[in-house]
Amino acid sequence: MGDKVAMQFESIGFRHKIPRPKWYNPLNKRKGAGISQANLSISEGEIIGLVGTNGAGKTTLLRMISGILPLEEGHAVRNGTPLGIESLRSMVGFMPEQVRWSSQQTIRQTMTEFSRLRGCSIQSALDVLAVVGLKSRVDASLDSLSQGMRQRLSLAVALLGTPEILVLDEPFNGMDPVAIEAFKRLLRSLADKGISIMISSHHLSELDNLIDKIALLHRGQLLAHGSTESLQSSLGFEQMTEIVVDKEIPDSLISSLNVLEHIVNEHEHRYVIESGHHDLLKALIERKFVVSTWRVVPPTLIELLCAATGLDRESIGMEVEQSSMIPLRTIGSEEE
Amino acid sequence: MTPARRMWHLAYALGRERMFSTRMLIMLPILLLFIPGMAWGFADPNLQLPADQLPETATETMFLASIGIVFAGTMAAVIIAHDGISRDRTSGVLEVRLSQPMPRWRQGIVLIFGHWSSIALPVTALLLASMFLVGYRSDMWIPLGDAVVYIVAAMLVLLWYTVFALLASSIAREQGSAIAFSIGLWFLFTLLWVLFTTLLAALNGVAVGDTQDQGYLIFEGRIDLLSPNGVYHHLLETRLDGVERGVSAFGAYAATILWTIVPLYFFQRRLNRLVP
Repeated sequence: MGDKVAMQFESIGFRHKIPRPKWYNPLNKRKGAGISQANLSISEGEIIGLVGTNGAGKTTLLRMISGILPLEEGHAVRNGTPLGIESLRSMVGFMPEQVRWSSQQTIRQTMTEFSRLRGCSIQSALDVLAVVGLKSRVDASLDSLSQGMRQRLSLAVALLGTPEILVLDEPFNGMDPVAIEAFKRLLRSLADKGISIMISSHHLSELDNLIDKIALLHRGQLLAHGSTESLQSSLGFEQMTEIVVDKEIPDSLISSLNVLEHIVNEHEHRYVIESGHHDLLKALIERKFVVSTWRVVPPTLIELLCAATGLDRESIGMEVEQSSMIPLRTIGSEEE
Repeated sequence: MTPARRMWHLAYALGRERMFSTRMLIMLPILLLFIPGMAWGFADPNLQLPADQLPETATETMFLASIGIVFAGTMAAVIIAHDGISRDRTSGVLEVRLSQPMPRWRQGIVLIFGHWSSIALPVTALLLASMFLVGYRSDMWIPLGDAVVYIVAAMLVLLWYTVFALLASSIAREQGSAIAFSIGLWFLFTLLWVLFTTLLAALNGVAVGDTQDQGYLIFEGRIDLLSPNGVYHHLLETRLDGVERGVSAFGAYAATILWTIVPLYFFQRRLNRLVP
C-alpha cells in the first residue's frame, strides 16, 4: 500500500430524483435520498472496503466515484487539480453489482467493443482476459457463461485501459467460497501493482484479510474512514478475543479480566474476553490447557454502525425503511 | 485510433448485430411484401385505382409505393431500436457503458447510426429493387434526381423513427414501456393521423366530407408538417408536378431540418442526463 494519494473526493454529494407527479406536471420530481458531503481520499495500491447496510448509499457513492452519476456538490481532485467527469471516467474502472451478460456475442467481441469505448488496444483487452482467467473461453458466447464467469468478465471490462482506481460494487454476490478466495487473491495482486481498489459489501466478514481501510456509510453519510484499527480505536471499541479451551479456566486466572461471554459445550469452554492479555495464553499453556482457538474477534458491521451513529441496534435495523437523510454523529466532532 | 474511427467501428458492429438479428429475419418478409411488392403492384399496366388516378411516370408510381415505407419501414425501425437502451438497462450493461470515458454524445451517435444503418441498408436495397421492378414492368424508368430524393427521404423518415424509439427506450425503465411508447407513436403518426387531421379540420371549419376539396388538401398539407410521415410525403412531392397542398419545397426542407435536429437534440440531452 502506497502513501501517495491517487485521488481525493471533496464534499461530494448527489441526490436521486424521485417521481412526484402532479396534475399540472406529470413529470414533476423531487429530491430523494443520496449522498451528502462525502470526503474520501484514496491512496495508491490500497484496498478500501465501503460498508453499510442495505440502502445506505454504497452503490450511489460508487457510481459517483466512477463518473456514472454527476457530482452535484464537491469535486474529484488529483494532484491538486479538479477533474472533469470524462477524466474521472478514464481513470476509474467500474464493476457493477451484477451484469447479466447475455447475447450471441462472444467474449472476444464484447472485449473488443469495450476496448473501443475505453480507447485502448484490442490486444490489451484480450490480455486482460488472461488476468481474470477467461482466456480459454475467449470465443464462448455470453449466453454460455456461468455467474462466476460473468463476474470475471465484468472485472475484465473494469480493468480495461489500466485504470488507476478499480471500483467494485458487491463483487462477491453469487460467487461460491472458492471463487471468492480466488477473486480476493486477484484483487490483492492488482493492489500490489499499484491499482487502488474500492470495494463495497454489507458483510464485513467478506472483506476479511483483504481490505486496508474501511469507509463506513450510513444513510448517505460517510461516517468514518480509516484503517480497521484506527476506526475501532476512534469508535471506542475494546478489542475482543475469543478463546476456546478444553476445560474451565480457574477464577484465579480470569477474575481480573472482563469476560464478555462464557459458553460451555460438551468438550470445550468458549470465552470472549477483552483483548490484550497475552499473559493469559502463557499461563494456560503452562497449566497444560489445550487451546484450540485464540483469535481477535472483529466488530460486526452492526456494532460499528451503532458505535458510529450512536443509534441502538433496533434503530439501525429500521434504517432501510427510512429514505430521508438525517444528520448523524460524525467521528471526532460534536453531534449535529 | 481516432475517436471518429472508434465510433465507426462501434456503430458498424452494432448495425451488423442488429441487421442479422432474429427480429430482422422476421421483419424481412414484411419489408419484401410492402416495399418491392407494392412497387410491383403499382407498376401493373392494368392497375385500377379509385378516381382513375393512374400513375403516369415512374416517380408517381414510386410515390404511391411509398406507403410501404410508411407502414413497414417505419415499423421495422421502431422494432429494431425500441430496446436499444432499455435492454442494456435491464441487464446491467448500461451501467458499464455509462462508466466508459467515451463522451456520451459520441455514444449517442453510435447508438443512432448503428440502429439506423441496420434498417437503412436493407430498405435501400429493397428501394433500388423496387425502382428496377417499376422500370421493368412499366417500361418507365425513374430519373436519377428523383431516385436520390426518394431514397434520401426514406432514410430520413427511418432515422426519425429510430431516434423516437431510442428516446423512448432511454426514458422507459423496462422494455414493455419502451415498446408501448414506440409503437404508440408509430400508431399515432401512421394510422391515427388522418383522424387527427380530420378532427382539427372540422374544428377549424374546413369541409371534411370531400378529401379532394382544395381547402381540405391545403389544411391537411400544413398539419402534415407536424408528422414525420407527412414531412416524408412533402419531400417526395417536391419531385411531383401539379401537387398543391399549401406547403412550398422550402417549407418541406425546413420541416425536414427541424424533424432531424429536434429529436436528435432531445436524445443527446437525455443521454447526457441518463442514470442507470
